[in-house]
Amino acid sequence: MAGSLVYNRREEFDWVLVGVVFLISTIGILNLYSTGVASGAPELYLTQLYWVVLGGIGSFIVAIIDYKHYERYGYFAYGAGIILLIMVLVFGKEVGGSVRWFAIGEFRFQPSELMKVLLVVGLAKYLHHDPKAEGRKLEDLFVPALMTGLAMVLILKEPDLGTALLCILVFFSIMMLTRLTFRSTMALLLSTPIVAIVGWSYLMKDYQKQRVISFWNLFVDPEADKLGAGWHANQSIIAIGSGEVTGKGYLQGTAGPHHFLPECRTDFPFSVFAEEHGFLGAAGLVFLYLFLIMWCIRIASQSRDRFGSVIAVGIGSIIFWHVVINLGMVMGIMPVVGMTLPLFSYGGSSVLTFMLGFGLLLNVSIHRYRRSYGT
Amino acid sequence: MHISPRNELSEFRRRYRWMRVFVFLTFLVFVGRLAYLQLINGGDYHKKSVNNVIRTVSLPAVRGRIFDAKGRVMATSMPSHTLVAIPHYVDMGEGFARLVELLGLDEQEAQKMSDKLNDYRKDSHDMRRFQQISLVENMAPEQLAAVKAYHDELAGIDVVDEPRRYYPYGEIASHVIGYMNEVNGDDITRATENENIVDKYRAGDLIGRKGIEHSFEADLRGVRGWKKKVVDARGLALSKEKAENLLPDASMQEPIPGYDITLTIDVALQKLARQALSGHPSASAVVMNIHDGSILAAVSRPSLDSNKMTAGLTYEEHDAINENPYRPRIDKTVYENYFPGSVFKPFTAFAALEEGIVTPDDVFNCSGFHEFGGRIFKCTHAHGDMTLYDALVQSCNVYFYNLAEMTGMDRIARYAGEFGFGQKTGVGYNTEAAGQIPTREWYDKNFPGQFRIGHTLNAAIGQGNTKVTLMQVATAYSAMANGGTLYQPQVVKRIETPDGEEVKSFQPIIKRRVSVGKHSMDLVMEALAGVVEDEKGTAHSAYNEAVSVAGKTGTAQVVKQSRKKGDTMAEFYYKNRDHAWFASVAPVENPEIAIVVLVEHGGAGGEHAAPVGVEIARRYFDEIAPRHEAPLLADSPADKKKDVKVPVEDTSPTTASAHKH
Repeated sequence: MAGSLVYNRREEFDWVLVGVVFLISTIGILNLYSTGVASGAPELYLTQLYWVVLGGIGSFIVAIIDYKHYERYGYFAYGAGIILLIMVLVFGKEVGGSVRWFAIGEFRFQPSELMKVLLVVGLAKYLHHDPKAEGRKLEDLFVPALMTGLAMVLILKEPDLGTALLCILVFFSIMMLTRLTFRSTMALLLSTPIVAIVGWSYLMKDYQKQRVISFWNLFVDPEADKLGAGWHANQSIIAIGSGEVTGKGYLQGTAGPHHFLPECRTDFPFSVFAEEHGFLGAAGLVFLYLFLIMWCIRIASQSRDRFGSVIAVGIGSIIFWHVVINLGMVMGIMPVVGMTLPLFSYGGSSVLTFMLGFGLLLNVSIHRYRRSYGT
Repeated sequence: MHISPRNELSEFRRRYRWMRVFVFLTFLVFVGRLAYLQLINGGDYHKKSVNNVIRTVSLPAVRGRIFDAKGRVMATSMPSHTLVAIPHYVDMGEGFARLVELLGLDEQEAQKMSDKLNDYRKDSHDMRRFQQISLVENMAPEQLAAVKAYHDELAGIDVVDEPRRYYPYGEIASHVIGYMNEVNGDDITRATENENIVDKYRAGDLIGRKGIEHSFEADLRGVRGWKKKVVDARGLALSKEKAENLLPDASMQEPIPGYDITLTIDVALQKLARQALSGHPSASAVVMNIHDGSILAAVSRPSLDSNKMTAGLTYEEHDAINENPYRPRIDKTVYENYFPGSVFKPFTAFAALEEGIVTPDDVFNCSGFHEFGGRIFKCTHAHGDMTLYDALVQSCNVYFYNLAEMTGMDRIARYAGEFGFGQKTGVGYNTEAAGQIPTREWYDKNFPGQFRIGHTLNAAIGQGNTKVTLMQVATAYSAMANGGTLYQPQVVKRIETPDGEEVKSFQPIIKRRVSVGKHSMDLVMEALAGVVEDEKGTAHSAYNEAVSVAGKTGTAQVVKQSRKKGDTMAEFYYKNRDHAWFASVAPVENPEIAIVVLVEHGGAGGEHAAPVGVEIARRYFDEIAPRHEAPLLADSPADKKKDVKVPVEDTSPTTASAHKH
């Protein structure tokens, strides 16, 4: 069994994971249709559909190749990601003041999206080979921190604040999975304000700072600055709140179809959904994400080796932090930071990245009864 | 069984539970927040979101028209179109180029427009880019047609209708009519605090300034209506089906048009009075119906074009008006105080006659001056022996110095006061000056211990501290000619709805009956007739056999000025020339109208003002109210106003074309 490249046992297939992903993607596409239909750009939901199908096929391919092969090339994958990040800084296409994309004809590819997953793979490989019976000391954190830091610095160079933030959150999440000494835990916790201060002082753009400030102002006085930088947050809250219990009905919302929420397809699709489907719909969607993340933890706990566990927790944490930051933003309990809602936000790179992640998850899941392997 | 280090999973085991708890609690926060937003506050947010999409569009009320006494349109509202844009949705490339082409703009205008749009568009986080701004006001018909025809190609561009005020007679009666411009903060505050104003003013609204437009603002304005429409954030209307879903209540309130106002002014008379004054840069005239105090003409030169004032002035035009030495902004018929000069003499005469101080036959000798208290008071020349008649006809000062000495200042003031001097007439449509009739008390108060009988002497001939307005003189002379009834001058005859239903009709307002006997008034009127008819009369040179006019000339001294730097000799002489007055009634038998003329720095009243007054009288009875017709202001039936044709440009004297049909 161990030698076979391709999985062939139907009874171990994770139908639940596939079902949840399918459900979220489908709702997401229908929701995108609603945001686009009145704006005269309904074809965007089709584009998204193509990405989901393409990503879905990709994820199956990723899933059926036994992940022990990925483990073997773990550092190689991480290294390839780093090289892509460097290349994008050199050859990338500048859009809106930041260099994040490779442009290949019509297609634009964002390596920093991919890097999130590759970082998880790299960290999993390291932790796979570095078990600790006692608590992990500060020096034991050095290599993973360096791997994360290198990726972060390159991403911040673009700059892509949200993804850099996400990398550090993923790093924390994975480290919390391991056994840490008290000193290591404190060091990790203390590094958060330091990173925040350094980020605010040197790395954040004025418009980003403005959004944080306006978030704070909105928090203090919800009526202030409604037309300025507080517009998005304010309109998003109005859209969500106005959905009430059952919502205004599909295609009947105002935020998306009527343009009260610019950027609603990438950053605010949840507001559109919550307006049209109300508390029942929105809470249901939140539950789906909760279920998905809980399922990731379940997959991690069922895995028989460290690599699989770290992969599942890492991918789960990517999804978790995306959901937390996006929902926090659209519900007005966090600043507006451009962060996609997994499989709900429009965008090819984002969809492909999450699909790649699901492929890995599925892989870990369907190989859970395989005997652990060594190298 | 040996477990390789890589499979050592115990390090992770205990963590999963904490992870699950953490994830669960985090999601609980989100569900709680959702419940707070959607379940607890959902109703409020729902209202907000409905307000988001419902735009209330104002429907402007059509402002009332202003007609002259004969039903000619003096102010009306014309349809006008404004090109508006929502900057965010304007395509600054091809779309804008197309717009420029359709509007026929030159390069400079196009640049200006694109700068304006870009100013709103430059910051993508600034939501003012979604606000409607106006690009072209009062579009030309061909621009309108082009934009409407190719509207599909012009994203973010729209045309809105806004009525524009139009004054067919421009500056002919602009001081009476006034003009309009945008409200300022004070206007808005005042209206907000005034409970009587239902429809509060908003920034960008027009409000009447000066004249009837200002004083009858409340009647003319009407009440604006509104229409609710469902829009998206771009301000674009949604489909009807969608709109109905989001628009629960009434979607429209019709505006209520303002009332029409009919004036007592006759534009034709107003025009010919202007023409009679045309030789003088700064002058004014009032023509009044002596039997009811209605104002038939009120001319103040120079004047401003109400259309230009309403459209807005350039800085250059603004400066030119403010620096104009002839003060075009001032309504000289009511707002300017003048020394009346000899025009005042009839009222000194009334005081002396009524108090029994002189009889008409008493004679005073004029040797060209009068000596009193060591001072010399001059006359124009030695008139010899003067009766009251002679003194008024020839305007002898010495005769009136003698009267003043015997009558005293306070008694002269009392009679002058009865004729309305020293008080505002209450004409109302423009700010009014009260004039001034000095008394002993006034001197004690303002110049303690300085009163001399000499002040009385000056007051008797309308100098010193005696000041009057043209409107006061016109009402006083009307009272003199109608047997002693002092009317409040009025300029509005009637207010009615656009359908011709009467809202208010203005009846003559009698202020008082003056306590001057008919005999005294007849005596003075006879003398005033002599001023023009008598060969020795000061206005005899203006005599015209076509019309009989009884009047009094006046030559009011001005404060002598030294020559200022930059003044030409002509300017210097002009400034030091006396003001010329002529106050009159016509015709002599059964007078109907009072005509008062003042030519600033005109010189002698008989030579410069009297011809103007006589000319106005002649043409009035020739062209406006020929003798064989019913004389004054036959009321025109209101229904004539329907289908009014507005004369586009008409400065011809008789304006047959301006008559309504």
